[in-house]
Amino acid sequence: VTGEPRQINLDQWDREYARLRAAGLTEPVYGGPLSRHVADGDTRLLKLRYDNSPAALRLWNFLLTEEDRLRAARDSGKKLVGAMKDLGTVPVMAYSLDNLVSFYPDGAWWIPCVMEFNTGLLQIADSLGVDESFCPVRAMLGAFVTEAHFPIPDLLTCSVGATCDDFSAIAQRLNGLGHPILWWEIPHRRSPEPGEQAVTLPGGFSAPRSQIEFVRSELFRVKAALEELAGRPLDDETLAAGIWKANVVRDLLARLRHLAFTAPLCPMPALEMLIAEMLAIHFCSDQDETILVLTDLLAEVTRRAAAGTGHLAADAARVFWVNPVADLQAMNLLEDCGGRMCGTEYLFTHALDPIPTTIPPMEALAQMALADPMVGSAFDRAARIVADIRRFGAEAVIVSRIPGASHCALEGEIVARRVREECGLPVLEIEVPSITDATQATLCTRLEALVETVKNRRER
Amino acid sequence: VPAEWIVAHGFEPRRLIPLPTDGAAVAPRVEGLCSYARAFVNDAAAENAAGIVVTTLCDQMRRAYDLLTCGTGTPAFLLNVPKTWQTVAAQRMYLDELKRLGGFLVRLGGRAPSSEQLAKTMIEHVGWAAPTASPAHVEGVPLAVVGGPLMQRDRILFDLIEESGGRIVLDATETGSRGLRRAFDRRRIAEDPLMELADAYFGIPDASRRPNSELYAWLKDELTRTGARGIVFHHYLWCDAWRAELARLKEWVGVPVLGIDSDGNGETNVARLRTRIRAFLEMFQ
Repeated sequence: VTGEPRQINLDQWDREYARLRAAGLTEPVYGGPLSRHVADGDTRLLKLRYDNSPAALRLWNFLLTEEDRLRAARDSGKKLVGAMKDLGTVPVMAYSLDNLVSFYPDGAWWIPCVMEFNTGLLQIADSLGVDESFCPVRAMLGAFVTEAHFPIPDLLTCSVGATCDDFSAIAQRLNGLGHPILWWEIPHRRSPEPGEQAVTLPGGFSAPRSQIEFVRSELFRVKAALEELAGRPLDDETLAAGIWKANVVRDLLARLRHLAFTAPLCPMPALEMLIAEMLAIHFCSDQDETILVLTDLLAEVTRRAAAGTGHLAADAARVFWVNPVADLQAMNLLEDCGGRMCGTEYLFTHALDPIPTTIPPMEALAQMALADPMVGSAFDRAARIVADIRRFGAEAVIVSRIPGASHCALEGEIVARRVREECGLPVLEIEVPSITDATQATLCTRLEALVETVKNRRER
Repeated sequence: VPAEWIVAHGFEPRRLIPLPTDGAAVAPRVEGLCSYARAFVNDAAAENAAGIVVTTLCDQMRRAYDLLTCGTGTPAFLLNVPKTWQTVAAQRMYLDELKRLGGFLVRLGGRAPSSEQLAKTMIEHVGWAAPTASPAHVEGVPLAVVGGPLMQRDRILFDLIEESGGRIVLDATETGSRGLRRAFDRRRIAEDPLMELADAYFGIPDASRRPNSELYAWLKDELTRTGARGIVFHHYLWCDAWRAELARLKEWVGVPVLGIDSDGNGETNVARLRTRIRAFLEMFQ
């Protein structure tokens, strides 16, 4: 039932959906035409362009029905764990216990975009003293107050320490409003001192053994809370099985990213790839279904790559993108301007690396948590970016600033400097607010200039 | 950062109270960057010091450390201060970090102190500088100043409060009494001086701790003790840790609160600051 790859708008998707259904498309329970989500308030969907494959349809429907899934999980007696400021550690532990469902309250940062400011979440955050000087993740505060976007979890965890001040302050405000939080510490990853035992982490960074031991002890506190909530122990065997399943997701994403970023023609647009990558950190509240969704997507991308079909012009500028965007439409804009995504660093590359399986599971998770590019020096992060740029063959880099985010003011210059020094590539730093409508002309001009620079460099 | 630990290693500790400048800089002026963090690394880079110590208590300072290491040849050290404080592991980590700082100081040419030398230093040294409070003869509405660290030019805040009819009875900024350690316990010094040093400093309340309930417990005691009738709350633009506390403080404290944000340049804000402080103090008449 799959046609040639095209990017289509929501109206076109409705017609395509009818055609697919008539041709025998079968869908999971959360399936349906994408346009129905607009009636739920997701009006930004009207302005996006989508991949036309059934796999992409499934991906979008999976993403946009997370709230229903969480409420159904609660109704079925499962306990909900809100894993805040957690890029792929606590959810792996929680999903190892079959009566727990973990989700990512920070994901509310996309609500102002998807619902185009219609929910009043940012106004609620304003009224609580968390204004626009903070990252759009402040929308999460409003979501907790209204309880309209996700159920209040039975357990809230939040990593602190080497995390951004925005989120830490917002979580503290949430705590002050009466939501108990289990805080667990992730220290700034430092270089081992002379003579200190060092461990090479997944992804290649190194850390002193003592820091891994510390994080492991913190994760044991989280584990105890999860066990209490679940009413059953989380033994090593159960956790190892959970890690194995998380690694299935990571492996699917690794293959998906490799194909999407390296195939001669772009087999899957940047927008769908962004959504797919995000599944790695919290599984969109259903780990098993995440595996199925990604399997479908990978099959589609593999088929397209093998057939030599895809989106965009063959000479599209190959761009590496740093940081996630608050406005999903920015992904479309890049492609409109002649760019193609060939590598990403959305703050959680560690959540895409396989979790080690040859060491005790809690040790493995501690290593993964410390491998987070954001908990170490910006130079470390830049080194990983440079390595991935080379791996995927990018020709330019976009550092996308998140408005108000405490890390964005300082890291961009370091990343840009390192990329220029080591790869000699052009770097563009932009800021992407939750809705880019007012700045799109400027944004496009800058993206087009970058694409033009890339093409000029090819001619030299 | 315990001053006594630095003294015990044979160095003179100096707390940097930065003065923002527009000249050549390690950290440029960019949107989103806290002016204190920027001024700190720029001043630190220009400072003629044997070494620079930065802590991780604030994300921007943690990240500014990266710029500092690029912009100066002076050895620098990033002290990992845990945000959590309730667990033995967090306390242990802080203690280990102090030992690591000791190693850094030794590499700079200092000497590792014996327990006796450290104990002697702790008894003899007063720690960091004393807080600002109005002299006893000043009369006026008793006020507390609450917030993060202040820069040199921000001292004008205290002058403006006093000239407007206020009297500062509590300086709860980081550079004031809130940023000071508790008094040492001599018995514990005798038992294990480094442990006592770590415990005294690790207990300093701050907005960035998680949870930061100890800050409010401390404020409650101090506001009661000093009889402050109002609070002037100061934070820098882009300082998230303190910015987010303003609304919560207002809900919690039960006395009038004046929130003042500053871009850190001081001079341009004086007129506006004076007007706001005067208006605030008129509420008490």
